[in-house]
Amino acid sequence: MTDLITLRGVQKYYGDYHALRDINLTIREGEFFSLLGPSGCGKTTLLRVIAGFEGVSGGTVMISGRDMSDVPPNKRPTNMVFQSYAIFPHLTVGQNVAFGLRTRRDIAKSQHAALVKEALHLVGLDGYENRASHAMSGGQRQRVALARALILKPKVLLLDEPLSALDKKMREHMQVELIRLQRHIGITFILVTHDQEEALVMSDRIAVMFAGEIGQLDDPETLYRRPNSRRVAEFIGKMNFLPAQVTGIDGAVTLDIAGFGVTQVPHVQVPEGAVIGPAAVGIRPETLAILFEGETASRHETTATVDEVVYYGDMTYYDVRVKDVPEPLTIAMKNLIGRPVLEVGAQTRIGWDERAIVVF
Amino acid sequence: MSLRVYVIAYLIFLYAPIALLPVFAFNDGTIIAFPLSGFTTQWFTELTQNAALHAAVRNSLVIAACTAVFATILGLCAARAGAMSDFRGKKGITGFIMLPLVLPEIIVAVSLLVVLRQVLGLSLGNWTIIMAHVLICTPFSIAILNGAFAALDPAMEEAALDLGESRWSAFRLVTLPLVMPGIVSSMLIAFTISLDEFIIAFFLTGANPTMPVYIWGLLRFPSSLPVIMALGTILVALSILLLTIAEIFRRRGVRRAGGTDTGGFL
Amino acid sequence: MARRTSLSPDQTRSITLLGVPFAYALLLLAVPLGAIILFSFWTQDFMTVDTTFTTANYREIWDSPIYGLLLQRSLMVSGIVTAVTVVLAYPVAYFISFHVKPSRKSLWLFLITIPFWTSYLIRVFLWKVILGYNGVINSGLLELGVITEPLTFILYNVNAVIITLAHAFAPFAILPIFVVLEKIDRSLLEASQDLGESKFSTFLRITLPLSMPGVVGAVLIVFIPTIGDYVTPELMGGAGGKLIANMIQTQFLQLNNAPLGAALAVVAMLCVTAISLIFVFLNRKYLRGRS
Repeated sequence: MTDLITLRGVQKYYGDYHALRDINLTIREGEFFSLLGPSGCGKTTLLRVIAGFEGVSGGTVMISGRDMSDVPPNKRPTNMVFQSYAIFPHLTVGQNVAFGLRTRRDIAKSQHAALVKEALHLVGLDGYENRASHAMSGGQRQRVALARALILKPKVLLLDEPLSALDKKMREHMQVELIRLQRHIGITFILVTHDQEEALVMSDRIAVMFAGEIGQLDDPETLYRRPNSRRVAEFIGKMNFLPAQVTGIDGAVTLDIAGFGVTQVPHVQVPEGAVIGPAAVGIRPETLAILFEGETASRHETTATVDEVVYYGDMTYYDVRVKDVPEPLTIAMKNLIGRPVLEVGAQTRIGWDERAIVVF
Repeated sequence: MSLRVYVIAYLIFLYAPIALLPVFAFNDGTIIAFPLSGFTTQWFTELTQNAALHAAVRNSLVIAACTAVFATILGLCAARAGAMSDFRGKKGITGFIMLPLVLPEIIVAVSLLVVLRQVLGLSLGNWTIIMAHVLICTPFSIAILNGAFAALDPAMEEAALDLGESRWSAFRLVTLPLVMPGIVSSMLIAFTISLDEFIIAFFLTGANPTMPVYIWGLLRFPSSLPVIMALGTILVALSILLLTIAEIFRRRGVRRAGGTDTGGFL
Repeated sequence: MARRTSLSPDQTRSITLLGVPFAYALLLLAVPLGAIILFSFWTQDFMTVDTTFTTANYREIWDSPIYGLLLQRSLMVSGIVTAVTVVLAYPVAYFISFHVKPSRKSLWLFLITIPFWTSYLIRVFLWKVILGYNGVINSGLLELGVITEPLTFILYNVNAVIITLAHAFAPFAILPIFVVLEKIDRSLLEASQDLGESKFSTFLRITLPLSMPGVVGAVLIVFIPTIGDYVTPELMGGAGGKLIANMIQTQFLQLNNAPLGAALAVVAMLCVTAISLIFVFLNRKYLRGRS
């Protein structure tokens, strides 16, 4: 895939507040890209910088190889779906969708109606042209916003937390629809979200942002399985942390993990430049297992005491204490047929696998 | 319950003077006092024949119309700036523009008089009153238009920009229609204030009196009082009409911009 | 650093826009106010203005008892009007905020504001009709046999001025109090009652202190402009009910002594500002003392 958007050393100040710190980023043609992070991390600012609503304090934004510094938002090949959707309440659905065509001299007026029809069809709102826009439901407004942006055939569609205003069911439905839509029209989507699950489900690649910086940029699986820092690991999913010692780095890396003992992991699981000395290891709840009677661990096992049980229906989450580990470890277990739910205080064996370990 | 009784008594206190207006306007007697002496429409007929009054009314209408337009333009500038980015000193500047709201009107009147007459040596006329009225009406316009702009989603204009419109056309196509009810409401309020304003007009009026200045002159002649009552009745009816229209537009504006109504002109 | 002080385009636009009404206010408010202060240090003899700097006007105001008396009376009348207006208005604001259905609130506010927008001069004059010798009150009371002679203490004196002004400024007092009452989180009141306070003590300990900013706003918005009114004292006050604004008007329009009038205006404005600032300061201190 070719590069579409390149950000080089982008800085943004609001007075003394440093909103974006040296952002370097390349977004490719046709990919579904997400900016993920907690509120205030700068993800929306970054999106607005790409759209042109915010100028930069330093660095450059290039779209299709062209420097965008002096290009106002109305001249950029980007279109946006706003968090509030910003559907013009004084215009009908059709007029909203056709809004951007007014300034497009290259499109003949006679084509407008057909284009509106096509755009509404794309988002599943056939025949809504003459509806009053303020009478639409949240999900419908979002579709109007999408149609209004897509009718202009932008190179990039920017989506600012587009699903946050919808209820859970509608949100999940729209996630799937957005993915389908993106595959169908094949243009680049850039999504801003604070919902890690949403980002994992929808994206080809995700940039996780903290305090104006990109913490990690990877595809969803790498991001989940190999987070490069504790804060990324904590923000995406849940992770247990255990103190450990790195005792050898020749060939494989040798680790002495509190409560778990000594094991060896390949270099890919360890950050570059790791040295002998104290470290932390992370391990996801679903990669640990409670060993019920008659079960044996595939790799290693150790003993633990059940500290807390949270029953979720399909899953049970156990907090267990392991000797020499300061914090309780969380284990996620599927409630398979015949598998009992343990009580607080029960002694149990737990199984673990060194391939699931991440070293920080 | 006793609170309700009190509030009703208060409303009676508020409306008492106005309620008397039509009573004496249709009373067939030259003395404005009880007992009443009979029904007549004579005072309304006299109104239609008073050329000096007609001139004063025309004057006031011109002044009020100009004031409404200029105050609303200034109010639009301030309210739009208010909805945009903050900068150092913005609060202070806005406070200063709103100052005439609490400044005693006589201070505005005499200070303008001093500058116009004594310092600049200009002669007074309708335009001097318009200038002063714009000054005191602008804060009201700002208050009304602030409400209209506050109810407006800032993403609306950005969406228009994003869809290819220039800054000006985004304002014209999206913001302006959405705040239009606020603009109408602001013009009507400014018009009403200017039409009724006496304290400043009395100082700054030139050869042609405004309607309140003319009424002030009549108040000294007992024989002309019934005619004033008739005029007052018409003015009250007109004011209520204008205010009702203003209120309807203000509400429509808040609704159209998608906000919820918090009520009130201030 | 340059980037920290430079303005964003949005800020620049905002400044440009606000600059227009600001320039207007500067030109028509700040400049005239400056001029009137300057003028108060000059003198005038019939039509010729002597521009030599002198404090003669201020000395005259200080020396002649009439100005002090008028100023004192003005401040007193404004003070009483303010107190009466605000005290009477508070329950109404409270009623609309707490006892009127949300959908009807706009209508009530509208009802309150209508009388305020109708011709001021005629409204003042009608109070004369109500309070006069053959007025509504006197003829009513005579008819009922409550009195045998018309009451005379209700017209052409300070009382009449106070009643009329209290009427004229009613909405100005109600609206700011209402706005603040509306912002009070209703769950605070429930919390207070849940913690054992009665309805009345909840009002005293929660509602009233929280609504003080509105009361302060109401006080200022009534107190300051009443000083500048000369219509009501002229029509209602009789000989003993004239106020400082009447004197300012007389100096400017009848005696042609604009500099003295300007000095009076400056003095009146300073007094009002000083009293307002003291009031705001004391109120802040009181509120801080409570919390």
